[in-house]
Amino acid sequence: MVTSTPVEVERPDVEGVTEPVEDADRPWTTIVWNDPINLMSYVTYVFETYFGYPKTKAHKLMLDVHHRGKAAVARGSREEMERDVSAMHSYGLWATLQRA
Amino acid sequence: MSFFRRDKPTVIAAFTRGPGHTVLVDLRAPEAGLLADLLRDLLELLDEEGLAGPAGPASAAADPLAAELGLENLGLGELGLDEEGGKRPVDRPNDPALARLFPDAYPDDPEAAAEFRRYTQGDLGAERRRRASTAIASLGRIPGGGRLTLSEKEAGAWLGALNDLRLVLGTRLEITADDQEPGQDFGPDDPRAAYVPVYYYLGYLQETLVEALTG
Repeated sequence: MVTSTPVEVERPDVEGVTEPVEDADRPWTTIVWNDPINLMSYVTYVFETYFGYPKTKAHKLMLDVHHRGKAAVARGSREEMERDVSAMHSYGLWATLQRA
Repeated sequence: MSFFRRDKPTVIAAFTRGPGHTVLVDLRAPEAGLLADLLRDLLELLDEEGLAGPAGPASAAADPLAAELGLENLGLGELGLDEEGGKRPVDRPNDPALARLFPDAYPDDPEAAAEFRRYTQGDLGAERRRRASTAIASLGRIPGGGRLTLSEKEAGAWLGALNDLRLVLGTRLEITADDQEPGQDFGPDDPRAAYVPVYYYLGYLQETLVEALTG
């Protein structure tokens, strides 16, 4: 991701990767991948607007995508995750789904 | 007013928040013209590949009976259905820019990816077409340039359309890394070089629109 104006970002600690606990009702995840075109502010906006995440969480997820190359942004049934991936594609984000 | 006047330079357009939930942007005629051209190019790209969804000319039904009955828009072809009522398979676009707009949902499972594409790609193309058309229509309100007032819905369409333009342009400019300087590897005669400033311009515009919608 890119920004059209330089901003200071904190580099998150690398070992902070949290694996979601196994959950029989939510066996799929939506993954958003880093890409060099989408604006950081726009990706944060999408996470806030579509998922209804608070700004801090949306911003942190955006930084995860940016620094780690990808982030799991939602978890649920396969149908729910297909809906989320489809919405992400509509926003122009590069998203995929996979088993959690 | 001119950029070269020191007392009151004209700056590049920026979206700002207006009264109510409106968004404002002051566009000079050349800027409005450039944006309309780019948006029309996007529509053309979507139509060429038949990705504009049920509303696109590429999927126009050639069913004479339906035409006679005035049902052109209700034919199976228009709904993306085959004769058995199932959705037709859709291929992954060959054009890298279109592949970026319509990515694979299942990177390691071609069958599931094809199935997902079959059920979502038409709607996704129609949505992209709708957003670009909305933006073009709003530009029609300021034929000689000037202040454009966008409703909240229109501003949302603009945000999506600007992002689509940047994805297509960025792919054409072969931007593949975050820290890449667009166009740095282009030869002196590469016609794409002219689009590098356009890419930056669209990024700036989009950034201000995100700010106007959230700030």
